[in-house]
Amino acid sequence: MSRYDVNVLLYRLKKDAAFRDRFRRDPMDALRAAELSDDERDALVRWNPRRLNELGGSLHLLLSIPDLGAH
Amino acid sequence: MGRIVYAAAMSHVLHPPYYEKNVGPHGKRMVEELIAVVRDMGRELAARRPDALVVIADDHLNVFSFDAVPAMCVRIGRSVSRMAQEGAIEFDRALDGLAERYPLHEDLANRILEEGLEAGFDFAASWSAPLDHAFLSPLTVLHGDRAMTPLVPFWVNCFVAPLPSARRCFAAGQHIARVVADGPWNVGVIATGGLSHFPELSLARVGESDPEFDRRVVGWMERGDHASLTALTTKELHATGSHELLNWMVLLGAVAPARARVRFFGEMGRIDLAALAWDH
Repeated sequence: MSRYDVNVLLYRLKKDAAFRDRFRRDPMDALRAAELSDDERDALVRWNPRRLNELGGSLHLLLSIPDLGAH
Repeated sequence: MGRIVYAAAMSHVLHPPYYEKNVGPHGKRMVEELIAVVRDMGRELAARRPDALVVIADDHLNVFSFDAVPAMCVRIGRSVSRMAQEGAIEFDRALDGLAERYPLHEDLANRILEEGLEAGFDFAASWSAPLDHAFLSPLTVLHGDRAMTPLVPFWVNCFVAPLPSARRCFAAGQHIARVVADGPWNVGVIATGGLSHFPELSLARVGESDPEFDRRVVGWMERGDHASLTALTTKELHATGSHELLNWMVLLGAVAPARARVRFFGEMGRIDLAALAWDH
């Protein structure tokens, strides 16, 4: 269920500073083990919050990830 | 016999810097006016000397992850902590500088939970969930320098579909009122959130509210038209960005048939702000 997988990643980006740093350094590598569609992976790697929201990403998570927030 | 001695609902980001950044001076001024009203309401709450304060609010994906999202959850235990968010931005900054732990009213929380299960409400229970701004921003303003009333935090899932229905939330509030009436305590009941903002939870629509809808639902509360309020569908709440009205529905069930008095109503654009009280 990809909506779940996208949101688990967004939640982890908000709550896990080490994972967030790793994601910012090398997003492809940080997402390697995640089960995502190509579209979802692309939106995460390019950090496209609006596209992530269209794909089911939680608005409140997208607005509140430190240093990556969508505001 | 216990009583609900105070009941109110209010918006829950009482943090001027958030609105100054996202709306401008107009937004900052409006929330400062609301904060002054909520401070007054806090003095009225304190004058009623509540033994416990039931606070109905939602989680913003801070406490419950997508691994398990309870439709409704009662926080039990003896104390509760403030959510910690390293590198907090935006509305999470409303928590900066607040106390780290708060007392719970363990006996009332246990009764709401246990008698709820007996009555057919499958509430979740949490011993560890912390409180985010939806609880602590209004509670801090309401209490000012006074000691925090022992709390019964009660979460409603307002954001992760499928949501509980307005009717079910109202029924949960009626249950809370029955538990209070059967107990020995004077209890305050507060619901937080709203009014309309973030329609469809769409990032593209952040900045929009629905003043016409907000005027309509506040009018229903003033007239005590609970039939119209409980008939609201999840689809309508989602379309207008009124997800957090589900918290208010619990309070409405607890105070029905009382009518609301509007203490503050402001149309900001990004969100409409309100504070209402019910004589009960």
